[in-house]
Amino acid sequence: MGALRRAWIGLTGQFAWRLRPAHMLRSFSRTEQGSALDMFAAVESTDRRDIRKKYFRHALDEWRHAGIFRERAREVAGPDAVESGREEAGMLVEHGIVGGRTLFERLGERDFLAFVFVAEADAVEQFGVYARHGLLDAGTEAALERILKDELFHVSYSKHELDRLSEAEGAAAARGAVRRIRWSRFKEGYLRLSRDIGHGMSSLWLLALYGLVLPPFRLFARLEAPGWQAPPTEARSAADALMSEA
Amino acid sequence: MSSEPPKPSRLESILMRLGTAGALLAMLGRGSRPWMLPLVLVLLVIGAGMVFLQSVQYVAPFIYMVF
Amino acid sequence: MPQVTLGVSALYHDAAAALMIDGQVIAAAQEERFSRLKHDPSLPVRAAQWCLDEAGLSAQDIDQLIFYEKPLRKFERILSTSIATFPRSALSFPRQMKAWLGDKLWTRNRLVEAFGVRPERVGFSDHHRSHAASAFYSGPFERAAVLVADGVGEWATTSLWRGGPAGLEPLGEVRWPHSLGLLYSAMTAFLGFAVNEGEYKVMGMAAWGTPRYREALDRVGRLLPDGGFALDLDHFSHHWHPTRAYTDRLVALLGPPRPPGAPFALLDPSASAAARAESQRHADLAASVQSWLEDALLHVIRHAHQRSGEANLCLAGGVALNAVANHRLALEGPFAQLFVQPAAGDAGGALGAAQWASFGVAGRPWSPSRFRPDLGPSLDEGRVADLVADLGFPCEALPHEDALLDRAAQDLLSGQVLGWVQGRAELGPRALGHRSILADPRGPDTALRVNTRVKLREPFRPFAPSIAEEQAALVQLPPAAAALGPYMTVACPASDRLREAAPAVVHVNGSTRPQLVSAADDPRYHGLLRRMGEATGLSALLNTSFNLKGEPLVGSATDALATLARCELDAVYIGPLRVGRPPARVLGG
Repeated sequence: MGALRRAWIGLTGQFAWRLRPAHMLRSFSRTEQGSALDMFAAVESTDRRDIRKKYFRHALDEWRHAGIFRERAREVAGPDAVESGREEAGMLVEHGIVGGRTLFERLGERDFLAFVFVAEADAVEQFGVYARHGLLDAGTEAALERILKDELFHVSYSKHELDRLSEAEGAAAARGAVRRIRWSRFKEGYLRLSRDIGHGMSSLWLLALYGLVLPPFRLFARLEAPGWQAPPTEARSAADALMSEA
Repeated sequence: MSSEPPKPSRLESILMRLGTAGALLAMLGRGSRPWMLPLVLVLLVIGAGMVFLQSVQYVAPFIYMVF
Repeated sequence: MPQVTLGVSALYHDAAAALMIDGQVIAAAQEERFSRLKHDPSLPVRAAQWCLDEAGLSAQDIDQLIFYEKPLRKFERILSTSIATFPRSALSFPRQMKAWLGDKLWTRNRLVEAFGVRPERVGFSDHHRSHAASAFYSGPFERAAVLVADGVGEWATTSLWRGGPAGLEPLGEVRWPHSLGLLYSAMTAFLGFAVNEGEYKVMGMAAWGTPRYREALDRVGRLLPDGGFALDLDHFSHHWHPTRAYTDRLVALLGPPRPPGAPFALLDPSASAAARAESQRHADLAASVQSWLEDALLHVIRHAHQRSGEANLCLAGGVALNAVANHRLALEGPFAQLFVQPAAGDAGGALGAAQWASFGVAGRPWSPSRFRPDLGPSLDEGRVADLVADLGFPCEALPHEDALLDRAAQDLLSGQVLGWVQGRAELGPRALGHRSILADPRGPDTALRVNTRVKLREPFRPFAPSIAEEQAALVQLPPAAAALGPYMTVACPASDRLREAAPAVVHVNGSTRPQLVSAADDPRYHGLLRRMGEATGLSALLNTSFNLKGEPLVGSATDALATLARCELDAVYIGPLRVGRPPARVLGG
């Protein structure tokens, strides 16, 4: 599984780093920014006061990494290709709060630590593959080296804390949490792919509909006239109108 | 919500969506753009498909392959 | 049984929840303060949960959940516009329809699922009605004209209402795609700033320029004899393009757009003459659109005055947050008094939706009052103390009010820049002394220091002052803008004394955007200002929002400490605790 994953990262990386290096860097920046949000939320939520400082420091690292990636993306893309903050925010919706709960609240402390361990270990592996395949320019490689040092610390502390938390139940509990997280990350990856296919297919369908079905309706449609208009007439009572979506 | 809110049943969800579709059609019918009704009917069918595919997202890629 | 109403705004930008019980606003908060995503549009589940917790209620206790707009009317507008602009809308149609057919059209389902309320308890106000209600029912007038101006709601982009004991009566509206807000937003994008985020920056940049493009802008945005306006749609693409708000014709008219992130050379003595000229052109463009908007709003409110027959005016919608325009409306407009509450944008829509349901529909008694924006969460002091200790920040407890204020004033007088987290958080974009960054405004380099060490924002943007009410003469607030004093929703000329003594809070054109603080509204903050006055003769502070660039105002104690750790703030006061800078081992890196 690990070898397959590395081969996949190497293969896709060949295209991605050649064709869209700034996009890659920006997406790393967003991932790190999202992780910082998740870690800050964990600082607030954990009952284990002795671990808060580690989460906090981890969050600060992630925030700094996001800045390094963002800066590097700017250097690679050139001065005219700055992405708007709004687009960046749009890409972060999977972090922070989903369905009203933070990642920590959704997973609980043990699985959260397992998540941190798996995600950080995956990132270290991914960056390693890029370096081994020589896919990175010198500036990006230097940036990644700075980041890797922190990531290795994140891997080791999260593993240590996961083991410590699972001490009472034995090592199997920690291994079980890691397995659960690997499986859920695989499922999420699959669902992301499913959603991407869905978006692509529905775009095609809707574009076809646009070209084939809309033209006759064009005969009837008019934009509204400028200037003041009378307010829409309302035959319903205020209470009835309030309960209606229309 | 920090704890999961009670979810409506599948039947309730479907009834709500039908209610929304009905309200949309009624609004267009009594407003100044009744000519949009046929187009909106087509779009609602597509919307129903999209909502269905969201609810079966694990098999959705295979369904897309058929189309 | 008390009547519990939850207002919700979401799915566009600035999602928020507001809770009312028997016509009393109990709590209101924006989702971004919890999720940490600026302008977060997602359903405000966390904000709503906090509101309910604050009142000791659960979702089952909600009698009415009112969404701030009518999604089906919005869908009608989007679809019919796509058809009317065929085939130019080819790119936006699939994108819009995907979002609507798969998601937004089913808002009732989403609300029921997210908030756990029964479907029959979910209602829908109108976008502009929600805005109008948030202005009128939060305001100080028995009767008033209410003008709402924003990008667009369902169909209306500008609407006029008459507010009084009988409720809110709609008098007229200007409809999409003709929009004051969208013209300003198009120019915001033209000037290289993000739409719905960079409009303040255009307003700030305008002071550096002269409106030499006014004539050109008058051609693309015409004022009509009926008191309305019309956009020349050949120059704009907000109604058919998914991301670009203006066309090549606007570029041909005004010259090349400013690239995002381009440096502002007017403040850089080492910049070349060409770079300075280009920045001057950008500032002139900003000045031109600002001048156009002010004239257009004046034109519109003259009509509003005539049509409504009212003496006072409440303003709402994103355009109402243009503090510079509000000054001209107060100075040159026909209304005796103006009111703009600080959450005039979409976050305030949640409040307005709940207020409309309570007062306008249920007919609960209502009377004018002084609006308090501190409706959000406060921090638990015990938890904060634990957190500070766990994270290893140096901390000093100052339980006595005098000791706290003396120490804070001493810090400020020694040139320190402080975070100030006190009481309940503000609703809306303005930090009004509850989630603020404060500094002594007297030093000539204070603004630069706060900008470069803390806020990291564009150097051309001004800072605003908080001023103790008894020194209101430091600013020249027009009599018609008296009700705006507490909220930083109007910019006005600074007095000579303020210009000389506190250059950090006076913009390049001599204007300032004050918050006048009374002891009755905020005794602790007023006490701090008074101490500054005792020491310097000037009861004023530089007050800017407690956040870093691109982030929402701080919400939790962790947010406040994280901000302290990531910039060069000297200390943060959280309730009675003074938290100093953390040692290097906490910061890592």
